[in-house]
Amino acid sequence: MLPSRPLLSAVALVCLSATLHGDEPSHVKVALIPEVRTIAPGAPFSVAVRLKMDPRWHTYWINPGDSGAPTQIKWNLPPGFEAGPIQWPHPQRIELPPLVSFGYEGEAALLVRITPPRDLKIGERVTLAAHVSWLECEELCVPGETTVSAVVQTEPQAENDPTHAIFFSEARARLPLDSGDWKFAAGSGRGFVRLTATPPLWLKDQVAEAAFFPETLGQFSNGRGSWDRRDGAYVMDLPQSDESTAPVRRLTGVLVSKSGWRGPGSERAIRVDVEIGSEIAGSAGALPGPAASASGGLPGAIGLAFIGGLLLNLMPCVFPVLSIKVLSLAGQADAPMRARMRNAGAYTLGVLVAFWALAGLLIALRAGGEQLGWGFQLQSPPVIAGLASLFFLIALNLFGVFEVGMSLTRLGGRNAGKSGEGAGASFSSGLLATIVATPCTAPFMGSALGFALTQPAPAALAIFTSLGAGMAVPFVALAASPRLLRFLPRPGAWMETMKQGLGFLLAATVVWLAWVLGQQTGSDGVAMLLAALVVQAVGAWVLGKWAVMTRSAAVRRTAGIVAAVLIVGSAAAAVKLAGSGAPPALETAATETWEPYSEARVNELRAAGRPVFVDFGAAWCLTCQVNERVALAAAPVLAKFREKNVATLKADWTSRDPAITQALTKLGRSGVPTYVLYSKDASAPPRLLPEVLTPTLVIDALDKL
Amino acid sequence: MKKAVIAAVILFAGLAIWAIAAKVAEADKTESFANALAEPSVGNPAPALTLTDTKGKQHNLADYKGKYVVLEWVNFGCPFVKKHYGSGNMQATQKKAVDKGVVWLSVCSSAEGKQGHMAADDWNQEIADRKMSSTAVLIDESGTVGKTYGAKTTPHMYIVNPDGVLIYKGAIDDKPSTNQDDVPGARNHVLAALDESMAGKPVSTASTTPYGCSVKYK
Repeated sequence: MLPSRPLLSAVALVCLSATLHGDEPSHVKVALIPEVRTIAPGAPFSVAVRLKMDPRWHTYWINPGDSGAPTQIKWNLPPGFEAGPIQWPHPQRIELPPLVSFGYEGEAALLVRITPPRDLKIGERVTLAAHVSWLECEELCVPGETTVSAVVQTEPQAENDPTHAIFFSEARARLPLDSGDWKFAAGSGRGFVRLTATPPLWLKDQVAEAAFFPETLGQFSNGRGSWDRRDGAYVMDLPQSDESTAPVRRLTGVLVSKSGWRGPGSERAIRVDVEIGSEIAGSAGALPGPAASASGGLPGAIGLAFIGGLLLNLMPCVFPVLSIKVLSLAGQADAPMRARMRNAGAYTLGVLVAFWALAGLLIALRAGGEQLGWGFQLQSPPVIAGLASLFFLIALNLFGVFEVGMSLTRLGGRNAGKSGEGAGASFSSGLLATIVATPCTAPFMGSALGFALTQPAPAALAIFTSLGAGMAVPFVALAASPRLLRFLPRPGAWMETMKQGLGFLLAATVVWLAWVLGQQTGSDGVAMLLAALVVQAVGAWVLGKWAVMTRSAAVRRTAGIVAAVLIVGSAAAAVKLAGSGAPPALETAATETWEPYSEARVNELRAAGRPVFVDFGAAWCLTCQVNERVALAAAPVLAKFREKNVATLKADWTSRDPAITQALTKLGRSGVPTYVLYSKDASAPPRLLPEVLTPTLVIDALDKL
Repeated sequence: MKKAVIAAVILFAGLAIWAIAAKVAEADKTESFANALAEPSVGNPAPALTLTDTKGKQHNLADYKGKYVVLEWVNFGCPFVKKHYGSGNMQATQKKAVDKGVVWLSVCSSAEGKQGHMAADDWNQEIADRKMSSTAVLIDESGTVGKTYGAKTTPHMYIVNPDGVLIYKGAIDDKPSTNQDDVPGARNHVLAALDESMAGKPVSTASTTPYGCSVKYK
């Protein structure tokens, strides 16, 4: 692999000179893209230095991390032009263990604001040039440099280049948000800094994970910090590094999360710039684990699971097996206590192993789902729809529409009838009793299961262990004192009635879930779920009518396939449709109260004595979509609009309608989002709201009318 | 049939336990990943070091008690290292130090097959060709010493005083770039620290953020 010595020296020399002369093949393509076609004197405009990296190659952020060097731009502008600092898009962690760098793979757009001089001559062509130097690395590193330029025309009015509108909108969505409604605080601990992030009141969604990118080099060791939820806020411990001996007084950097800082699908990065406050006691990572801090939900779920386990013993698919087993055990009433307890222990172990298997299956499914990008948050519509479908199906089973696991029940019965018990037989009967019980999930168990799906693996396992314990406890009690058998009711028709009763409880749970779904996706979402449930019921009916022992194997097989297609298909459709539905508030806002924009209409409304609010947005503008969802569709904001009798108009710039472009230019704006509030007083100038909206911001602006 | 069912159940139960264990291990690993790179502190004893050089001789940091020792992490493929060797800066710094009685140990922690790794003969040729004045070039193929010292970049510099205490760690100078033109005007932290310490003064800049390419660990 290594060339011979003289060749190596020659190559080394050539490589050295090539670096000096920049002849090495570059893996980064750089371009200068102005947002505008024409510029006006004194009017600032934006340009982007776009870096396109070859696959697996990356360039660096302002803080490159453990190694590397940030991209630098040296501007070559005509006299009087001033270029602002680089607005860096949020970086990603590039891990080459044990080292971590902060940079960009794929494409990065570095935005810069340029201000032309006020005495710029109209009608001239202006060349903007920049010398860009960077370090591109895959595993090896190569320094790169190039000069890029662009030409713009000087006119009295600055005009956007519509072909770049989407590019700049996407680039801006990757810039960190100003902390805005999020409140940050930092405290110093021993060798670490604790960042506390308090979400705004209007944000109902969770931020599942986050990574912190410090702006200053050498402040923190670049390992991934923890991100935990605690008392309604998020806490992150950042281990410090002693590389730079300067005292660290401020925490400045960017927090990045795939969850978005204004709800799912919103901007992924937010700026942190706070003073590091007083000492905090304790050591880094001394926070309770996420399971415990799940606001006491876990102990409650464990308790409920235990009760569910106890209830399972009464289900008709468990009770006969249980009573037979106990009776055979009673036959051993004269056997020594130790033997009986050993059998009881083996039974318990069998039950627990079966429940752990179920947990394992669930965890595997969830892990597989996570790979596919499915989330399992209890608040997300697809999960609610999925749970509703599952519970409905179980309710149908409890009503007796179809039976599942009949062969398993026979298994259980056959096995229980055997005499000559040993620990091994007890173990397997515990195992089988559980498998047989699985179709008859009691409503308590159902909610515990659903909850377990959304929890981290150790919590899910705890819930299932509690279920198993609940189920095994009566058996252990009976084994310990067989005299209690006298108090056991005889198996009978009452079991079937009880099973059906529990079916109604489950049906009620489905109603509750449908209501939650309605909150999230509107009545359309509920209607779609109900339609899916009807199809499911058909599938269950097919199963119950044709997949029974009285029919031939061929019929049973066909029926099974048809039913599976119907049930799984409708459940999948329900889940998918729930996930893709737009929030209803947005739709109703769009159709009910938002008129299409036109200048004439604005004047008309103002003349009629109504203030006017105009929302300039576009389908491809992420910030616009998030603003609409977060602020303009919020109930308190809509109420305020009604209270102040404000007319709401929406200007859709998705196809870059020239009339709307003109309106934006007149407002001194070059793109979307733009929010304008006109008071009814025609002489008052229009008021522009910031680009990032929150409900409080809009309400305050409306109050000032 | 029954045995199959029981077997399947036990399999899944095993899967659950394994999944939990894997998650716990992963959490441990990310912890240990963050700690995989030690960070010896200035003012504390420098970590122990035993490595073989390109001429086959073994070097022990303890053997150099009574002398200043400079550790320089090197990888000739890295553009930052090329800046200092191409301009002659590193060689000049080495010579100045060695002339003052300092033991200069260049260390390569590149794993086999990765950039910077060379056979001993090729190293000796490089030492001659580049006119290096290092006392020795140490091969740290496994990366253990690099990780013990927390070496992140090439170049990454450490200075140990005659008492075995770490008195400097970080960059070679204060101009983090690949541009040779930046060398003349930069403050050479290593020479400054050596001068200050040898004069009996405390080191004014004892720790800086190193710059360079990542060390090519295994």
